[in-house]
Amino acid sequence: MQTFRLRIITPEKVFFEGDAVQIIARTSAGNVGILAGHSPYVANVLPSPLKIKTADGEESRTAAISSGIIKADKDGVSVVAEAVEWAEDIDVLRAQRARDAANKILEENRSQKEFERAEQRLKKALNRLTVAGR
Amino acid sequence: MATANMKDVKRRIKSVESTMQITKAMELVASSKLRRAKERALAVQPFFAALYDTMSDISADPAFSSVYTKKKFVRSTLVVVVAGDRGLAGGFNSNVLKAAAARIDELKAGGEKVSLVTIGKKAVEYFDKRGYDVTDRYSQIAERLDVYDAMDIAEKIIHGFRCRDYDQVELVYTTFVSALTQQPVTVSVLPVENLENGAKGGSLTEYDPSPEEVFDGLVPQYLSGILYAAIVDSYASEQAARRTAMESASDNAEEMIGQLSLLYNRARQAQITQELTEISSGSLRDE
Repeated sequence: MQTFRLRIITPEKVFFEGDAVQIIARTSAGNVGILAGHSPYVANVLPSPLKIKTADGEESRTAAISSGIIKADKDGVSVVAEAVEWAEDIDVLRAQRARDAANKILEENRSQKEFERAEQRLKKALNRLTVAGR
Repeated sequence: MATANMKDVKRRIKSVESTMQITKAMELVASSKLRRAKERALAVQPFFAALYDTMSDISADPAFSSVYTKKKFVRSTLVVVVAGDRGLAGGFNSNVLKAAAARIDELKAGGEKVSLVTIGKKAVEYFDKRGYDVTDRYSQIAERLDVYDAMDIAEKIIHGFRCRDYDQVELVYTTFVSALTQQPVTVSVLPVENLENGAKGGSLTEYDPSPEEVFDGLVPQYLSGILYAAIVDSYASEQAARRTAMESASDNAEEMIGQLSLLYNRARQAQITQELTEISSGSLRDE
């Protein structure tokens, strides 16, 4: 199968740069799989597992992504996100702590604003835990 | 008299020496921290460029509009000030704080309400002491800043902007020009403006679900990117300023030690001469 150039960029570093066969991301409209030669496309990515297949016949790798965008153009595909971690690199303890802290805030029934923020964090923490658990 | 003077000088030499040890150590620490900070500041560039390109492409469409780009009649401004957590960095903190205070006065003179978010212990202390309206304070985050910290601050700012607590957001921080020059700068952050019009061919791109939603989803990341970059930039500037300040302090200490040693040697020589004169005059009298 054809490959395309994939770049995954976070503020801290260029997380991944190389050839890939397929990438699957969850956007607000649902899961989107992108292969080589995709038409120009831009979408928001939700906190979710990101699946990357780097070569034919190889196992796909999974990474946890916080919110970001995915962009396909003639040069390839770029994913720009605040934070991305490979499944095997996720600090499970830290994610659990984040989950528990967020849960606690949700239970305490604070202001609407804090509730929303805690909900966002809970989503991110749960996503990291699901990805790591796999 | 001469002995007392010698003791004094010796004590002063000792104290300057120990000060110099500290300034030397601080200089070394600052230069190694500066190296790491510069790497971090460089690493954020690709992220920023990618976001900026996409946002420019979207906004190139004349039909496009978003709450984040609309120019409003400005009645209130949020100013985010980034300074250091520690002193002893030459004019670093006072320069950026003065620039921020001047900008705030200018806005107030224009009849606007100004609120503040302060980042860095020195900024927090400065504006709290002077009774400014500070809504959020962040101390001691620059050294171990990660994206999640920047995201938190950005989320709060965006929330306030959407609730119309303020109509525009400005950021004052110090940018790293070179190892010797650091410049306080003021940039306008929200509403998003000054986007260069990107490729007009961008209209062929399919935006899912719509250009507006993609753009609005991008803004929080754009803002946390800007904040992250500004804090990292300011941190690099702080280290550079501290290194320069400590370098000149060490140089001055060295010069002082040189002068004091000269003084000490002179006093010692004078004492010896005097003793010799006393001895020879004494022996003359004996004869």
